[in-house]
Amino acid sequence: MNEKPNPRLTANGFAISRRNFLGLIGSTAAAGMLGFPGQLIARRRGTLIVGAPADPSSLDPATGGAGTDHVFLYPIFDTLVEWDYATLAPRPGLAKAWHYPDPRTLVLTLQENVRFHDGTPFDAEAVKFNLERNLRDPRSNIRTELASVESVAVTGPLEVTLKLKEPDTVLVLILSDRAGMMASPKALQELGERHDRSPVGTGPMRFVDWSDGEKVVLTRNEHYWKPNRPLVDGIEFRIITDSATRLRSVISGQADVAYHLDGRQIPLIERSRQLQLVTGPTIYCYQLYLNMSRGPLQDVRVRQALNFAIDREAFVKATMAGAGEPAYMNLPRSHWAYDEEVAKLYPYDPDRARALLKEAGFSNGVELDMRGYSDQGSVQRQEFLLEQFAQVGIRGRFRTGTIPEMSATYFGPEKGGDFLLSAFTGRPDPSQTYALMYLEDAYFNAGRVPPPPGFLEALLRSRSTTDIEERRQALSVVQRIVMENALVVPLAFRNEVSAASARVENMRSNLLGKPKFEDVSLQDT
Amino acid sequence: MLTRKKLGMIASRLLQALPIAVLATFVVYSLMQLIPGDIAVTLAGENASDERIAEIRELYRLNQPFLVQYGSWLWNAVQGDLGVSLLTREPVAETIARTYPTTLLIVAYAIVLSVVIGVPLGILAASRPGSLLDSGIMSIASLGVTVPNFWFGMILALWLALGLNLFPATGFASPGDGLGTALWYATLPALALCTNGIAEVSRQLRSSLVEIQSSQFVRTLHAKGLSPASILWKHGLKNVGVNLLTVISLLFNKTLAATVVVEAVFAIPGIGSAIVNAVLQGDFPVVQGAVLAMVATVIVVNLVTDVLYTVLDPRIEQA
Amino acid sequence: MSATTLLPLQQDSIVVRFGRWLRRDIRGALSLAFLLLLIVVALLAPWIAPYSPTEQDYANMLAEPSARHWLGTDDLGRDVFSRLIHGTASSLYAAFLAVGVAVLVGVPVGLVAGFMGGWVDLAISRCIDTLLSFPAIVLAVAVTGAMGIGLTNAMLAVGLVFSPQLARLVRARTLVVRQELYVDAARCFGASLPRLLLKHVLPNAIQPVLVQATLLLAVALLAEASLNFLGLGVQPPDVSWGMMIARGYMYMEIAPAQMYVPGLAILLTAIAFNTLGESLRVALDPTLRGR
Repeated sequence: MNEKPNPRLTANGFAISRRNFLGLIGSTAAAGMLGFPGQLIARRRGTLIVGAPADPSSLDPATGGAGTDHVFLYPIFDTLVEWDYATLAPRPGLAKAWHYPDPRTLVLTLQENVRFHDGTPFDAEAVKFNLERNLRDPRSNIRTELASVESVAVTGPLEVTLKLKEPDTVLVLILSDRAGMMASPKALQELGERHDRSPVGTGPMRFVDWSDGEKVVLTRNEHYWKPNRPLVDGIEFRIITDSATRLRSVISGQADVAYHLDGRQIPLIERSRQLQLVTGPTIYCYQLYLNMSRGPLQDVRVRQALNFAIDREAFVKATMAGAGEPAYMNLPRSHWAYDEEVAKLYPYDPDRARALLKEAGFSNGVELDMRGYSDQGSVQRQEFLLEQFAQVGIRGRFRTGTIPEMSATYFGPEKGGDFLLSAFTGRPDPSQTYALMYLEDAYFNAGRVPPPPGFLEALLRSRSTTDIEERRQALSVVQRIVMENALVVPLAFRNEVSAASARVENMRSNLLGKPKFEDVSLQDT
Repeated sequence: MLTRKKLGMIASRLLQALPIAVLATFVVYSLMQLIPGDIAVTLAGENASDERIAEIRELYRLNQPFLVQYGSWLWNAVQGDLGVSLLTREPVAETIARTYPTTLLIVAYAIVLSVVIGVPLGILAASRPGSLLDSGIMSIASLGVTVPNFWFGMILALWLALGLNLFPATGFASPGDGLGTALWYATLPALALCTNGIAEVSRQLRSSLVEIQSSQFVRTLHAKGLSPASILWKHGLKNVGVNLLTVISLLFNKTLAATVVVEAVFAIPGIGSAIVNAVLQGDFPVVQGAVLAMVATVIVVNLVTDVLYTVLDPRIEQA
Repeated sequence: MSATTLLPLQQDSIVVRFGRWLRRDIRGALSLAFLLLLIVVALLAPWIAPYSPTEQDYANMLAEPSARHWLGTDDLGRDVFSRLIHGTASSLYAAFLAVGVAVLVGVPVGLVAGFMGGWVDLAISRCIDTLLSFPAIVLAVAVTGAMGIGLTNAMLAVGLVFSPQLARLVRARTLVVRQELYVDAARCFGASLPRLLLKHVLPNAIQPVLVQATLLLAVALLAEASLNFLGLGVQPPDVSWGMMIARGYMYMEIAPAQMYVPGLAILLTAIAFNTLGESLRVALDPTLRGR
């Protein structure tokens, strides 16, 4: 029962672990289904009303850009590959199997009898259309994800062969994200840009309406290919940006679920008899993005001092109400690629921080240009950090701005600021995270500083082997290089905090931190 | 009553108002250009890269010079096309149609509450000028001007919604879902907004009434034996009406402005939130369109007020 | 009576008049006293406050009022009472800055418009009307966004938003005064335009401005709080009352005191400004006495 399902990248069929199987039985029993072998009848009770923290940027997987879009997209679009809720290991999705006949070829075998919401069949042609669109459409934001794909060929009615420019085993998990979301080619061709606001996928829910900043309404897909899904008549997302207000809507009964709440609100949720707390670790990480091409941060000792100066346990306690995990590297403890040794590099040690600063020539302290966002949650974190830094002689003020403004200022051509307090939402595959943050031309590497020697080789190694142990070792090397050189200052991983009313059953959190509602059902009140 | 002269007046007022509306959008546009930050970065999202951002700027024609972009917006606007949101591609006209009625409902509700509560208070205070009752009511009324609307809204939400469960704490229902429900949702926000109005209405009414009572003309009528009520009805009402109308039309503008923050407290998807979000994100088509809508409304309200003046008191000359 | 006896009426000294006003108008006097107290508190904050406003205590967050912390502690364990005291300076600074800007911009514009007349007046009046038809907060948000977030910039924006009101007021007064005989007389004697404005028009226009400005102090305070709520106010680690309310909103159900305390501070100060403004209005306009 304690086995972690083995995330083998060559899946031959449905590799469900014993634990998951028993879990599935348990949840179906809880949903009150009648247990006829081979015929499970689901009970449906109305529409699930969900309080969402942000408006989608677009309901088309390729043209959107916000990490918060996924929650809206998952019900509408199935992905070629899915993942395990607890570990993010890949699982079959619309692609019921895949394998690498050679390191530069990936063959996907597709699920049968799947139709898009508009009735058109889901087949290899549809997959080819989608992948090529993701690669070529000027409005596609995800071209770089499929950068290693040279060509997509239909090699059977339900078989697709991808030829790769270089070995890329990350591709499997990339296909569990936006790039693997399959939209109806017919709809894409007919609607063009309007598909952003009128999406057509294969998912458990069909799109009905989107009122900007207000709500997104979905209704049950009667012809969904997974048996006995979905379990509700529809989902209505109500957009309530403020987390306090969002929780209140569940407390007062106006909504069934509210997600992306704050750790502070846990006592409120637990206090209320009618609510369930749904929580769990995620890979969403608060961190300082460093611009290593300017100022004192060019010196590795200063960057290391930053890492030693912060009491991460206190950070979690003070700003996250304990609903999080201190981050000593880019991955949390439960992740399959976590390396314990790297995590020991930076305990809280203000004396060491002061010593390092002195060594670097800053015995009287150092002044840094700090940037952050202007919302209250961010400001609270900034205030915390300022106090911590003050103890070791790191001085400065945070200049705040709205998220678009600050992101543009820090990451954009202006390159303002020594560091930015922000967060990284995480990616299904760790090598994506490292590539996006530390490669020389990576957008999130504001200073465009080339990574230290050894980084690139290790990263490539992790992408070219399919063996999980080898991948884990390569990623450890990557991580060690990152942390020894203090290329980042990770702070803490946020737990997902969701509140569900008593009626809601089977709401679970997942490690990616983007809630899915595919197994959720509603009880009679 | 719609004489040619009146129509002419209305037409000329509208014509005068046009440059104001255009100027307003130009001011907003200039400000938006000054706001640092780049909406292209937001549009590129999590997978941003320098090339992608440059592409997006090309794609959405964000690279054109200042005046050209404004000019093309204005040209389209005049033909009825307010463009689409840069962020969500929703047509701006739809955004306004969706959010403005929400805000207007709350504003109207707040003004009605101001009048319904303010008028009796004003009459009560004027019934005994100079007394403790009078100064007591006026003090409470002036409290209404100084209380922060959103703070008051937070307190109302805490006590009446979460505490006593009398009203919903968040959100909004449109009249399409039933007028009763819509009003129920709108009550707390309207209450939060009406404090200012109650103060102004009651104060204005009180001073008008006191003035009437002490005027020579009325004293004469009183001496002749007419009851206070009929004096008020026959002679005071016009004066009172005009003053009240002035107050209400000023109130409209102020309340419309105040809804912005109250919408944030109650998570109401009104035009206020839409504008603030659009400004902070740099989504200028939405800002332009929404500001145009609000400015146009204020102009129309002023115009209607002026017409009503002449109805109430034909003596009032229209320039 | 010969012309030489047409002397100006004997007036009591300003101090005597002030004393008389204080004695007569209790509310005005109280407001003034309160505001003076606030100014003292703001100036002496570092010495009066028992704790530093930024000192955090993670073992003691959101604590109830106690002997050690008279108003409890906030979300990072900082002493609320000390933060309230330090916030006084920011709040007063915010209000005075905004109104100061409004006066500095609005009064000259109104003077020029009223005095010059003609197309200058027309153009300026149109601009004023435009700005007045904006919902104030939207303009403040846009200007703050354009200038960069921060308390000073936010209040400069608010001041700009207020200036049309004052401009309009001054313009109206100027129009009236301009027609006074004595101004024409002075003109005949060759007095220059600026001299005319400063010596004759301004003193007469100033009274309603003084009243309005005082009333605007209250509105500025509320505007500062609103902008903080929308995320456009002070930058860390500074503190202001509006920012404390915005933070308190996050903890409304758990610790409502976080929200009550700064809100009451704002309310009381706004009441004081408002009452003072009303008293000034009555004091400066004899026709309103004995209402």
